[in-house]
Amino acid sequence: MRLPYPARFLTVLMIIGFVLAACATQSGDGSPGESTAESAAGTSAPAPSAAAEEPNELLVLEWGGYEAEEFWTDFKSAHPDTDVTFEFGDTDANILAQMQGGSQADIFHFYTGWQQFYVDEGLVQEIDTSKLTNWDKVPAEYQELGQIDGKQYFVPWDWGFTSILYNTEQVDEVTSWDALFNEDYAGHISMWNDGPGAVAVSSYINGWDETALTDDQLAQIEQDWIDQKPLNAFYWSGEYTDLCPAVQDGTIWVAYAWQGCYATALAAGDPVAYANPEEGRNSWVGLYGISADSDSPELALEFLDQKLAETSCANAVTLFYYGCANGDVMSSIDDPVLIEAFGLDDPSILESTNFTPLVTEEQREAWTAMWERVQAN
Amino acid sequence: MLGRRGTLRFLVTPPVAWLALFFIVPLALIAAFSLRAGSGAVGPDEPWLASVDQYAELAGTPAFLRLLGLSVLVAIGVAVLATLLAYPIAYFLAFRAGRRASLYLTLLLVPFAVSYLLRVMAWKLMLGPEGGVNSLLSFLGLTDEPIQLLLYSRPAVIITLVYVWIPFAALPIYAAMQRIDRHQLEAAADLGAGPWSRFWRVTVPLSLPGALVTFFMVFIPTVGEYVTPALVGGTDGIMYGNIIQGFFTRSANWPLGSAMAMTMLVLTLAVVLVGLRAVNLRRVLS
Amino acid sequence: MTAIGVGRTRVPLRTFYVGMLVLLYLPIAVLFIFSFGTGTTLSFPLSGLTLDWYAEVLDNGAMIDAARNSLVVGVAAATTATAIGCLVAVAVLRFRFRGRGLLLALAGLPLVVPFVVMGVAFFLLFVTVDLPRSLVTVAIGHSVIGVPYATLIVLARLSGLDPALEDAAMDLGATYPSALRRVVVPLMAPTLLSAWLTCFIVSFDEIALAIFLVGGDPTFPVFLYGQLRFAQRLPVLIAMAVLLMLGTVALTLIALRIRGRDD
Repeated sequence: MRLPYPARFLTVLMIIGFVLAACATQSGDGSPGESTAESAAGTSAPAPSAAAEEPNELLVLEWGGYEAEEFWTDFKSAHPDTDVTFEFGDTDANILAQMQGGSQADIFHFYTGWQQFYVDEGLVQEIDTSKLTNWDKVPAEYQELGQIDGKQYFVPWDWGFTSILYNTEQVDEVTSWDALFNEDYAGHISMWNDGPGAVAVSSYINGWDETALTDDQLAQIEQDWIDQKPLNAFYWSGEYTDLCPAVQDGTIWVAYAWQGCYATALAAGDPVAYANPEEGRNSWVGLYGISADSDSPELALEFLDQKLAETSCANAVTLFYYGCANGDVMSSIDDPVLIEAFGLDDPSILESTNFTPLVTEEQREAWTAMWERVQAN
Repeated sequence: MLGRRGTLRFLVTPPVAWLALFFIVPLALIAAFSLRAGSGAVGPDEPWLASVDQYAELAGTPAFLRLLGLSVLVAIGVAVLATLLAYPIAYFLAFRAGRRASLYLTLLLVPFAVSYLLRVMAWKLMLGPEGGVNSLLSFLGLTDEPIQLLLYSRPAVIITLVYVWIPFAALPIYAAMQRIDRHQLEAAADLGAGPWSRFWRVTVPLSLPGALVTFFMVFIPTVGEYVTPALVGGTDGIMYGNIIQGFFTRSANWPLGSAMAMTMLVLTLAVVLVGLRAVNLRRVLS
Repeated sequence: MTAIGVGRTRVPLRTFYVGMLVLLYLPIAVLFIFSFGTGTTLSFPLSGLTLDWYAEVLDNGAMIDAARNSLVVGVAAATTATAIGCLVAVAVLRFRFRGRGLLLALAGLPLVVPFVVMGVAFFLLFVTVDLPRSLVTVAIGHSVIGVPYATLIVLARLSGLDPALEDAAMDLGATYPSALRRVVVPLMAPTLLSAWLTCFIVSFDEIALAIFLVGGDPTFPVFLYGQLRFAQRLPVLIAMAVLLMLGTVALTLIALRIRGRDD
């Protein structure tokens, strides 16, 4: 039996298309550019001692962009024959969803505030820090962020500040987070599009403990942000796509911002400053966990250890303006822009910094739902 | 030899199979999620408790419902404007472009191969305080200080959506105009009809089905639009789709997001059905 | 004589078309100029001129892979969607059967569901049936969101083709399928091209669905959004985007040229 001609023709084309897609995937598994090591070069490399029994491959669930080899170059040099591939997420919620959905990833990357869920859901395994050669370079504040109930589940890696970035030509010195609510800057303010971020700012301003908010306090926070809407130009979601260009061209005068945008604008010579609010800056930390189902936990641990090594960490700082959990790397920075952005000339800065706290699933849901209602209003 | 009935089976089976497997089944999963208790990105293996909590929460949040209504209105506005503005483009392609029509049409579509995000960033640069437009205005002495142009407002969303829809909106109208029998127009001319009268009495009625297809092709996805509002809408231009997207990405509250999506789907289809009834599709097509 | 239509009226149609074209290409021109500047933030005036970004593009294997991935996914998805759209359009317009309206509704329905919702739905489906995520799953997803566009565009043209044409061919002894091939397909070629191109473009710049489905090989938008998490990557990405567009333009012109010669 013959198909009608158009159907036959298009069926053939379609099959060719899908075969191509499948081939691209297959060849991608073997050699997707820089993300895999060529196996031929591996003959002379030392075999990973403890991991000899494990499959010599790692799947990392990463945020797009972090797969760049600069971020894990030390591991690559030590294990040129290991097959490292990446899968991608673009929000903490997305990463968690993929892990819950049964991702095969050995290693996953997420940010402070989400630790508890991975432990509660049994998605992560405990880490033996005695096997990490670079662990002693990680400041205690950061080490503790990876602990739940006294057990180390996560390895801190990238970190940064959140504070008020402002235009010094349009705005007097900013000393408090309440600059985001200042009517003088109406139409030139930009808040991050994030519920927990909004709750943190309000808690700082009101002096509340964000992990112990009452219903009344949360209702107050919701109303405050609804009232702030006429002042806010836009809620940003991409640091370098929405926020930074608008800060640099003078549209935005006061913004909730990370240090990366500050460093970028500063390096470009724009009139900007990064506040040290009296309530303290916020700091967020990126954490890596090893999946409970990983077939290569020893190799995964080795990967995380090497991520903390000097070159990989320094690349995060110098190339991408992110802080790194290796304290030696941070203290050896000499670029004035980076010293300024990370407050490295202020030894007490971390004491007055509010690290993003652990929150329960219930709190996160309440906060994110609150934020969606603010937006809809 | 294949009869008409056999041919029909061959025509209908692949689309139905493909869409059943890769559209109806996923859609059913979303519908099922919308009737699931709890929140969060619940894995498929976890216990599944039926409830209408999500719909109750949606019904109990006036801000969401108001935004849904507003988004439908925005979508109607965008669809009307895009159809009206695409019409002359389609007319030009069908009646004036001659043998170059394919080229001219393709030229309209090719810019969409460049990331929308990058193109919007370029527009923001041009419209920003230091951008070309403001520089020109101050050079001409029309403004003392940079003015906030267009960006970050609901009108900005509408204008941008119309702008990106026009080339696609022209396609169905152009396709419908291609079928207009030139002899009919000549006959009308022979009978003494002037250009405008020929246009209104022959071209418009015959291209109406294409215009209707365009209207719905723009209207339906615009109700749930969230990319453009996020890029140019600012605080005031947020649409219902942004909230749905928030529950799926920022919050991972998939059950509530699913309920919001299902509600929007039903409302959109209702508007489409009412619209089709109002224009009496059968008469237009015959 | 091109204007058989309404004759020359005073409506400046060509100006309108050219104006639209200018508005569409203006941002691309800005990006094009910027891609030769030394600065890493999108601003003018340019601080200096360089070709480094283009050299970096050619050096960046991951970026070229991502672009190739998008190309492959786009071709597979657009072809599938166009095929399905054609089948639906022919069935609906040339046959009377129960469920005609239902079939049309089915083909149009993917328009209503926001891409991010479809992304989650596909994610759930592929996890449930244990189909590993890859470019194939992205292509499947994109084929579904392309179906409404293909169907509507083909439908609008086919509804204008007189079925008598096929009947006449069949009276002359052709089977229905060969009548479709000999009579309908040639008349439909430009419309099929538009439908295909539309589906391709919808797929090529799609991220919301792709981010849930890509697996290990990123498509270009997934790669681009990831890279834009960092300062300094913008000019390379813009250079790549410019190259991709020039490539698309060149391919299109060649395709049209070849077709023109055939005519």
